[in-house]
Amino acid sequence: MEWAKDSLSKLEATREVRLCSEPPEFDTYEAEKLLDEYHPDYFGSQRNVRVGPNADNGKFPNELADLLESDSQLPFDFDPTVDIETDVLILGGGGAGASAALALEGSGLTVHLATKLRLGDSNTIMAEGGIQASLGVDDSPRKHFADAYVGGHGNNDPDLLRVLCENSADTIRWLGQLGCILDTNEDGTFQLRPGGGTSLPRVLACKDYTGLEIMRVLKDAVLLSSTKTLENHAALELLDDGSGQVSGAVLWDRSRGNLVTVSARAVIIATGGSGQLRFQEFPTSNHLGAVGDGLILAYRQGCKLVDSDSYQYHPSGTAYPEALVGQLVTESIRSMGAQVVNAEGRRFVNEMAFRDVLAAAIIREVAEKRGVQTPTDRAGIWLDTPLIDLQNGEGVLRRKFPGIIHRFERYNINPAKQPILIYPTLHYQNGGIQIDRDGRTEVRGLWAAGEVTGGIHGTNRLMGNSLLDITVFGRRAAMSIQSDLPERRPVTLTSLKGYRESLQSISSQSRLLSPQLFPTKAGMKIAFERKTAMKQPNEGLGVTDQPSFEPPDPFAK
Amino acid sequence: METVEIKVAGKAIQARAGETVIHALWNAGMAELIETGCVGGVCGACTVTVRSPGGQMRGTDLACMCPVEEGMEIFPCPVDSALTVAPEPNPTGEKLRAAYPKLDRCTKCGSCTTACPMSIPVMDSVLRMRSGELDKVAEDFTTCIHCGLCRFVCEDGVQPHMMGMWVRRSIGSSMEQDNDKILEQESQQAELEWEYLLGGNSTDKMNHARQFRKSGKIES
Repeated sequence: MEWAKDSLSKLEATREVRLCSEPPEFDTYEAEKLLDEYHPDYFGSQRNVRVGPNADNGKFPNELADLLESDSQLPFDFDPTVDIETDVLILGGGGAGASAALALEGSGLTVHLATKLRLGDSNTIMAEGGIQASLGVDDSPRKHFADAYVGGHGNNDPDLLRVLCENSADTIRWLGQLGCILDTNEDGTFQLRPGGGTSLPRVLACKDYTGLEIMRVLKDAVLLSSTKTLENHAALELLDDGSGQVSGAVLWDRSRGNLVTVSARAVIIATGGSGQLRFQEFPTSNHLGAVGDGLILAYRQGCKLVDSDSYQYHPSGTAYPEALVGQLVTESIRSMGAQVVNAEGRRFVNEMAFRDVLAAAIIREVAEKRGVQTPTDRAGIWLDTPLIDLQNGEGVLRRKFPGIIHRFERYNINPAKQPILIYPTLHYQNGGIQIDRDGRTEVRGLWAAGEVTGGIHGTNRLMGNSLLDITVFGRRAAMSIQSDLPERRPVTLTSLKGYRESLQSISSQSRLLSPQLFPTKAGMKIAFERKTAMKQPNEGLGVTDQPSFEPPDPFAK
Repeated sequence: METVEIKVAGKAIQARAGETVIHALWNAGMAELIETGCVGGVCGACTVTVRSPGGQMRGTDLACMCPVEEGMEIFPCPVDSALTVAPEPNPTGEKLRAAYPKLDRCTKCGSCTTACPMSIPVMDSVLRMRSGELDKVAEDFTTCIHCGLCRFVCEDGVQPHMMGMWVRRSIGSSMEQDNDKILEQESQQAELEWEYLLGGNSTDKMNHARQFRKSGKIES
């Protein structure tokens, strides 16, 4: 990193003094001012949605609002005829969907799990830092609650948050029984790390690959279960019985290029977040499929969305090298002592502040020209990673954070010796579908779990609470279904029809189609054989410039 | 901006210097050419083989972790998932051999180690599986992303990543847990604390939570 020579020498010059310094602290007023002026949620790139359950109630990022006001991918004359009959249909192959599937094992119910990508290709698998559980000697679910509630700005649904915190110990036991190996001390107790905003160490981890460890175990267990997995099956629309109860879904089989209609007595939406919508052109840490599909599907069925204006910009996304831009550098590395330092070698914020405050502070440094310019026309702030070994001993960074080392070594950057450049990355959808303590949505027949839901984390999630969320609420939704399984109902597109009618009532309709399934940037197109002769899609809306369907390509794989 | 030309599955595309093969495909509107998942190097979907600009075979890689280089050629190399075997409590080398009998077919060619995008010493670990050093095997496979390339390149049908998973799950599920804390008895004090945290209007709740996380006690 020859181009950053000057700034690097400033950073090195202050290192010794910084090592023993106390971090700068903001009081509540300063923190709120910082958020107001520099956090992307407050930039005003948001608007109301004019149709559906949140019509003129609550803000949405512009990109998401456009998708909510868009027409379905389904042809107008599509007539659902059942291809697959199942008791429970799970949409989503990440941690929440897999946890739900495992909790349905042995229930005697038939379970299908449909995922747009492959089982496990998700945000879960990319989670690095860990999972919170109040296992420390002086810890309790109440302390966990208080931390998450303050961190979430008190916008959390207290009932949901209590459920989350009271189930952490049980979840760790469940993961252990499945065979997850989390880091332990020599005496066999779990290693607990601090996280941003935790009042005492509460984060369990598997190195900096915690999500990978959990997801690959859940995936292996699902593959050994009786759940039928439908990979490369994207959910295009939910089906209802004509009187407000969800009764199945229409899937698009990407490999075969056709539509699949599933009749289900219960549907669980576990489709995750929407970081790949890249609001305000932020980079993202999210996987390919994170474009908010589940929000769109549930919204058309009448589910209210809560806190949908709130997203988490993870403070330490990679800013250099270009190939790694947006990828996460775990918060644990800061909790172990890596400091956040500007171009002048000055520490300007407490690294363990709540994520939104830290992200806003970094954005401010860069906006006020105290960031480091990269040769690829980006700017970032130093994360002084060599401090880990200086404070904890030679080799600790490599042992505890092999993932960071592995990724950067390829670019001749050794984070044990050189600092790395970071800038906030679009990381987590704080809000989402409103659910109750058992994962039920407002619509009969429809449950939801994981990042697609809102309320648990308020408007800012703490590190380690999402891996907990998916495993707790995925399983709770499954248990709830077993105790309250609706009867099988007919499959119709009545809700969609109603939604389409309401779309016609608004002016300047979006020209997009949703759910979008893949980032527009990826250019992946829907091309499938039609079951029935189709009229012009969207003819009711007068939109003709974006064909939604391409003729089947005989050479497509 | 500096651009380079690469070929993916025989199709030439222009890419921005410094970006990965996956992002180059996205920008070219050709994302479907390579199966993609997390775009962060951990799901193992985007396995490819790479030819260097000079034409020589460079080996396997993950397209989402592979920066573009002028003249490089990329070939999709998707790996289907293999049948998995249920873990067993208190695993031994013999139990592993019973679960995956092909273990002993390994001829120590080392292809698996070369193919691994996570730099796991795969072949050495297979030898450790044979000799029953399963704790070390579990450690070796901590960073395994289950891309399956080690199995794909093995001419003898050995399935190192599947065995690594079996060993890890078997050991993990046999571990004693710290159950005292896990079975925390909800005391009367706990109920009082919940009442304190959940009571009152939203301002009260926030103040109580702020106070409680500092002192860990109810203050009236």
